Amino acid sequence: MAEELVRMERISKYFGRVQALNDVTLSVQRSEIVGLLGDNGAGKSTLIKILSGALRADSGEIFLRGQKVEMRTTTDAIAHGIETIYQDSALVTQLSIARNLFLGREPVKSPRLFNRLDQKSMNKAAGELLRRVGITKNIPSTTPISALSGGERQSVAIARAMHFESDLIILDEPTNNLGVEETKGVLRFVRSARDSGHSCIFIAHNIYHVFQVVDRIIVLRRGKKVADYIDPKKTTIEEVEQIITGMALDPNS
Amino acid sequence: MSSQVSPATKPLPASSSPGSRGVFRAFVAAPEFGPFVLLILEVIVFTVRTPAFLSPGNIGNLLAFTPELGMITLGMTLLMTSGEFDLSVGSVFGFAPVVMWTLYNTHTTSLEAGFLIALVVAAIIGFANGWFVTRLRIPSFLVTLGMLLVVRGTALYITDGFPQRTWTTKSALTKIIVGEISLGDLRIYASLLWFILFAVISGYVLTETKAGNWIQASGGNPEAARARGVRVAPTKMTLFILTAVISAYAGITSSIRVSAANPNSGTSYELEVIAMVVIGGTALTGGRGTIIGTVLGVLILRTMRNGIVLIGVPGLAYNIFIGAIILGMMALHSGLERRHRSGT
Repeated sequence: MAEELVRMERISKYFGRVQALNDVTLSVQRSEIVGLLGDNGAGKSTLIKILSGALRADSGEIFLRGQKVEMRTTTDAIAHGIETIYQDSALVTQLSIARNLFLGREPVKSPRLFNRLDQKSMNKAAGELLRRVGITKNIPSTTPISALSGGERQSVAIARAMHFESDLIILDEPTNNLGVEETKGVLRFVRSARDSGHSCIFIAHNIYHVFQVVDRIIVLRRGKKVADYIDPKKTTIEEVEQIITGMALDPNS
Repeated sequence: MSSQVSPATKPLPASSSPGSRGVFRAFVAAPEFGPFVLLILEVIVFTVRTPAFLSPGNIGNLLAFTPELGMITLGMTLLMTSGEFDLSVGSVFGFAPVVMWTLYNTHTTSLEAGFLIALVVAAIIGFANGWFVTRLRIPSFLVTLGMLLVVRGTALYITDGFPQRTWTTKSALTKIIVGEISLGDLRIYASLLWFILFAVISGYVLTETKAGNWIQASGGNPEAARARGVRVAPTKMTLFILTAVISAYAGITSSIRVSAANPNSGTSYELEVIAMVVIGGTALTGGRGTIIGTVLGVLILRTMRNGIVLIGVPGLAYNIFIGAIILGMMALHSGLERRHRSGT
């Protein structure tokens, strides 16, 4: 059996009297791409925010490589190798692409003189990364984020996760607002991440995109996990849609 | 396109079309271009109206006080880029020399020790500003407005409102800070050299270092910056302390040059300093800052004050021109910003 990377055990979360998550358990193996599906308000985002340190669960535990961990802040999660790419990608719009990619982990060169940035290598690495995520347009890496389209911004956020080789990359609606070529770039990136031993949690409204890349599908409905271990190769899109909307039960459970 | 020394971000057309035309377009599109043109225009108009404007005597005059205000603007530029500002700089400018000269004149400490104590007191004031802003999350406008009154009030209280004399001493320290230097007919003060040095260092830190990247990110999108591991609160704290210390140093410089530490000096400098910074192109809301622009902003306002008196406009009309410059420059910068956002 593959090595388990992350396990979220019996996670519950309330917002006031509304229970957003009810006893959800989720695990991701090494080199596995898990698709997290569910209708609006099913609790996908809440679950992901807990894993990435943006929210804290009311009950439940998180294990990383078998060790119990506390995710108090997003910095904790990044330090543990969990990188999250949100819909509204968290970039500093005034800064250039290269400066955003390396924000918080800037390479410096000697003589250091107050930690001189190695802008040459930053710009070079940024240029290569942009090509890898499918931005084929010739955008200089010194361009400020404010001059980019939504899709291009998303790609920059993905490039950042790629470069720092996080163990687990969470993609929250990564293909929203993306053009065809950029979407292909994202999907290609997800596959290459798996091939190089990374794990991904892939959240998307577009089931077709999910089906193209994931190894396993988990479905949430109204804060509860209603399906796990759906194999996209043995299941049709229609069957999964029925599970999401509650018209059918998990065939494997 | 990657090796040249450039501001943190460059507009698109500049780097996508290399060659001399690209360099020219980058120069025109840079946020510092508007202030630069305005400064050149000022110099031309004043020189044509009265040739005395470019005389060594007048330039020496112009450059006597400029470094003192200019030093404060450097700290303020970094602080504003990080998304905060400091209204207490004028009070610290008046208070620090009062501390230093009171200690010296009462024979409590040596001049050098008094100097260091004054800077440490300023650092504590800056720390208090930063603490209220980053820990208690009170807007810097309110915190530093309160500090403005506390510091000014303290300066007036410990001096009974009377200036401290500073002319009794001729130490090496005062020579290093603001000694006179003659270059032919032109007489300048050492403070000008210190200002140039500080400007080069702060410009370098802002655009070329990791700290500069953190400063811009803290002001641009503090949440995103924090999520990436940028230590936003310590960054702002450091800049509050730096701004207070450099204001104190500027105040001490001024007190030695004019031979008096007046507890009222520096009153309303905070607004002039902020005006200089935003005229240069630094965003009031943070995220974008330029030291070159700030230096231009300082020169624009100081030249304006000097020049309009020289050509015979009543000094009382000065503020009309300053206000008009601020409004005009803000309109220009917001136009550039909109173009910038639309990505053309």
